[in-house]
Amino acid sequence: MELIGLANYAIFMGILIGIYALLSLALNIQWGFTGLFNAGVAGFFAIGAYTSAILTSTPALNRMGGFEWPILLGWAAAMLVAAMIAWPIGKICLRFRSDYLAIATIGVAEIFRLIIKSEDWLTGGSRGITGIPRPFGDLPYVQSQLAYLALVVIAVLVVYLLVERQLKAPWGRMMRAIRDNEAAAAAMGKQVEARRLQAFIFGSAIMGLAGALFVHFNRSITPEAIDPMIATFLIWIMLILGGSGNNRGAILGAAVIWIIWSVSELLTDRLPTEVAIQAKYIRIFIIGLMLQLVLRFRPEGILPEERKRNPVGPG
Amino acid sequence: MKLKTTAGLIASLLGAALIAAPAQAQDARIALLGGISGPIAAMAPPMIAASELAVKQVNEQGGIGNGGTLRHVVGDSACNPQNATDAATKAVNIDRVIGIVGPHCSGAVLAAANSVAVPAGVLMITPSGTSPQITAIDDKDLVFRTVPSDDYQGRALARTIKERGMAKVAVAYLNNDYGKGLAESFKAEFEALGGEIAGYSAHEDGKASYRSDLAQLARGGADTLVIFDYGDGTGLTLLRQALENNFFTNYVGADGMKSDAVIRELGADNLETFFTSAPVGEASESLENFRAAFSAAGGNPDAIFTTTAYDAAFLMALAIEKAGGDRAKLSESLRAVASAPGEPILPGEWAKAKQLIAEGKDIDYKGAAGDHEFNQAGDVAGNYAFFKVSGDTYEAIADMK
Repeated sequence: MELIGLANYAIFMGILIGIYALLSLALNIQWGFTGLFNAGVAGFFAIGAYTSAILTSTPALNRMGGFEWPILLGWAAAMLVAAMIAWPIGKICLRFRSDYLAIATIGVAEIFRLIIKSEDWLTGGSRGITGIPRPFGDLPYVQSQLAYLALVVIAVLVVYLLVERQLKAPWGRMMRAIRDNEAAAAAMGKQVEARRLQAFIFGSAIMGLAGALFVHFNRSITPEAIDPMIATFLIWIMLILGGSGNNRGAILGAAVIWIIWSVSELLTDRLPTEVAIQAKYIRIFIIGLMLQLVLRFRPEGILPEERKRNPVGPG
Repeated sequence: MKLKTTAGLIASLLGAALIAAPAQAQDARIALLGGISGPIAAMAPPMIAASELAVKQVNEQGGIGNGGTLRHVVGDSACNPQNATDAATKAVNIDRVIGIVGPHCSGAVLAAANSVAVPAGVLMITPSGTSPQITAIDDKDLVFRTVPSDDYQGRALARTIKERGMAKVAVAYLNNDYGKGLAESFKAEFEALGGEIAGYSAHEDGKASYRSDLAQLARGGADTLVIFDYGDGTGLTLLRQALENNFFTNYVGADGMKSDAVIRELGADNLETFFTSAPVGEASESLENFRAAFSAAGGNPDAIFTTTAYDAAFLMALAIEKAGGDRAKLSESLRAVASAPGEPILPGEWAKAKQLIAEGKDIDYKGAAGDHEFNQAGDVAGNYAFFKVSGDTYEAIADMK
């Protein structure tokens, strides 16, 4: 029957999964390979989103920006600005370890959220920014979505290949060494602080790119989109479920969680309306339950980290 | 391998969903999208229930077209763009709806309109998205709302007090979305009318004293203080301290200040020059109809945005009936059934409306929340009145245009 509709829905899911996969890959660089507990994903997502929005949107009366830059430049700027902001934050916060770092990064993300909500001249405050162009946005519905999916897939693929390459290189092994035994890595002459900062900046830039891809898809951004629930913790769940330390796991986790989140609503909608409204909460429950089960029975995630006993090549 | 598994998983789940939902040809399907989970979880269920009441009335009184039923799905937009676009995409592509009532939050409306409803050509009526940004969506005439923009009250208040001879005012607003939005639109309109703003400042919530803020505002020589704040909170403190020190002659507030706490704490004797604006569900037969029906259905008609949610769904049904289920004609039909001239239709009068439409007569829906004459951008004017304190309560003294 409605094959076009199904395809359309699948395309849409593909786009969101792609955006979340980027976030999950970025977090994997920070947590999976370097052991940095960044609980402020939403902050860097927001920086990328707003940077690209301000640079590429049409001019507006009440705020700065609307420079109508080309979209690709906006994306590049999103990565650059996210990286530049990550640098001083990393400098200060990365001296903390594990849970202290988590608390500090939650705080940082919250500061960004409040700045975005209150600095009207820059971000439009709680009203947000509209008039953001979407590449191929003038095409009809299906074609436009398809074209955007292609862009997102290209972005994920490029990031995946680059990150894989980087992690297979000596750099990746060094990062794992730092993660697993910092003192030993330092004793081997590795600059632990600088390397951790590198990973933090690298991951943050990719989070910025994901934010940029998200705003151009929706053509608008408001502070509601950077709620920690949907822009930080959901990504942690994706990474843990998929398998932290494994890039394919990070992408798979994003896909599995988003599909459960989205498709379960279709099923609960078949229930009588009185129950259906309450049943909406079931998806939150299912995701929580899955996380519990994975942590209990397969803490390494669906696709665990590959550990090679005898790595080939120069060490 | 992974791709295949994923695709297989999607396909089987979607297949299950589809088999369970066969669509009949003459039926019309709409979606009610609301912030069921998320920050407005307490507000959303009564709003959904009000919209469902409209759907129920339609089906009890003859349904859609020739024996068709108006069917609806409820989607969770969770008050954020990620879930709103997801819910709208499912509604449009899987459930094949031709109209969406919702979403509830402005950010969700912006995202769902821009990335789903407008590209897909689906009519969307939000009952509670009040952001002025919604006006500016490039919407091919597909995005409407039954609630006035935040901009409206501030501007209407500026016109009203200018007309009443207060030409030099100071503005004190609470530094949040509500206070700031009102203050900005008030200022723009008041200055455009030639009024003078002799003081304009934001204040933070919950301080013990605002005397220095007030003294600063009074220095400009204004005789009227306009307060955009809440009468249960900081606004009360501000008003009390201004009265104690005789900083100004007149005091004006918006709907947030129209609180019984103000009269109780300060006394009606001291509030002879205190005025507020507030929305009025035009004391009409329409509102009575809705209140009676919604109470009978077990709902609370005083819950916020239930009137606009009901009207949005009822208007959607009228538009579908008028358009004969043709999605390309929906927005044009919506304008036709909502605007004067025409035979007035009140909430619940579906059978009458259906018959008039069948006879080819023009109708004009008079909703529970107002008349709903949509302007070019799909916005409605609000019904606001200007109140003064009278005894223990507030009394409306003028309509605000």
